[in-house]
Amino acid sequence: MIPGVDYSQRYWDDVVEGDELPEVRDEITYRRVIMNPATTWDYFPGHHDPEYARSQGQPTIYINTMHFLGFIDRLATDWGGPASFIARRKMSMRNSIYAGDTMVGRGRVTRKYTDESAGETRHLVELDLSVENQHGEVCAPAVVHLRLPRRPGA
Amino acid sequence: MSSSLTAAPPGPGGTELVTGTYEDALAMVGTTREVTFSSHRVTWALIKYFCAMVRDANASYWDEEFARAQWGGVVSPPALLLTWVMAPEWSPGDPLPAPMLLGRVPLPDPTVISVGTDMEFFRPIRVGDRLNAEETLREVTPRKTTRLGSGHFLSTESVYRLGDGTPVARYVHELFRFTPGEAGAR
Repeated sequence: MIPGVDYSQRYWDDVVEGDELPEVRDEITYRRVIMNPATTWDYFPGHHDPEYARSQGQPTIYINTMHFLGFIDRLATDWGGPASFIARRKMSMRNSIYAGDTMVGRGRVTRKYTDESAGETRHLVELDLSVENQHGEVCAPAVVHLRLPRRPGA
Repeated sequence: MSSSLTAAPPGPGGTELVTGTYEDALAMVGTTREVTFSSHRVTWALIKYFCAMVRDANASYWDEEFARAQWGGVVSPPALLLTWVMAPEWSPGDPLPAPMLLGRVPLPDPTVISVGTDMEFFRPIRVGDRLNAEETLREVTPRKTTRLGSGHFLSTESVYRLGDGTPVARYVHELFRFTPGEAGAR
């Protein structure tokens, strides 16, 4: 076990529809936005050049799509544990998160189900998630279908 | 209140836009771009840097022993899917990578934003995998006006596979190709 790494696991059997996910808050500094191009190879200037962002009518640089996706997946798998698997994730983008903003992730279990379509029984939960800014504005609503392991012996 | 200007993730060749009419764009629906083969394999270093950016402590990304037992190897965060087929913007002797399909759709409007993504994953992406992507233009809507301006919504669908053809993921990307308008002014 590596200290600080997350090993805690949730099992499908223990989930109840309506369960709330713990809120995740993350302060997005200028440096963190600049890390977007560095870690996703997305060099669109809106993520590193404040002058360009202002020319688009934006106050400053803002996070990219992959950062939103990564934060949503983190919200789901922080709750689900490292043996959970993102089977599907649908996200809409409504507002940007700017350098200096705080991202707030929230979520709820809307459905617990099994799926037989892949020739095996898969155990899944559907999560309704949202990424908001510090003003409570929804920036990126998402739906994640997360595959979870069964409780050993279940 | 900000307008939603999260840029389309650029792919090989960036997002320089071809201009034309809506009829030209409709004629392109169903077109599939030549398959993009990645020039490199999925690497643990970039996975760690991405997870450091997102602050993701998931053992599947950080602990090789755990990940090997659980997934058969260290896996990539699903959010890095697109990155694994991006081409370097320069390489010795190579022509520029072909532009993304979304940039080749002829429409009159000067700019484009991403409005939605839908990804389905069939298996984990592991360190050492080498992916390819096949992208098809699915839909171009009639002209619509939003608070950003007026333009057309486009959707593309890409299938990501391993070298042996095993499907890894399906990705639907929705975009708005638009002319900024009064309604979109901040």
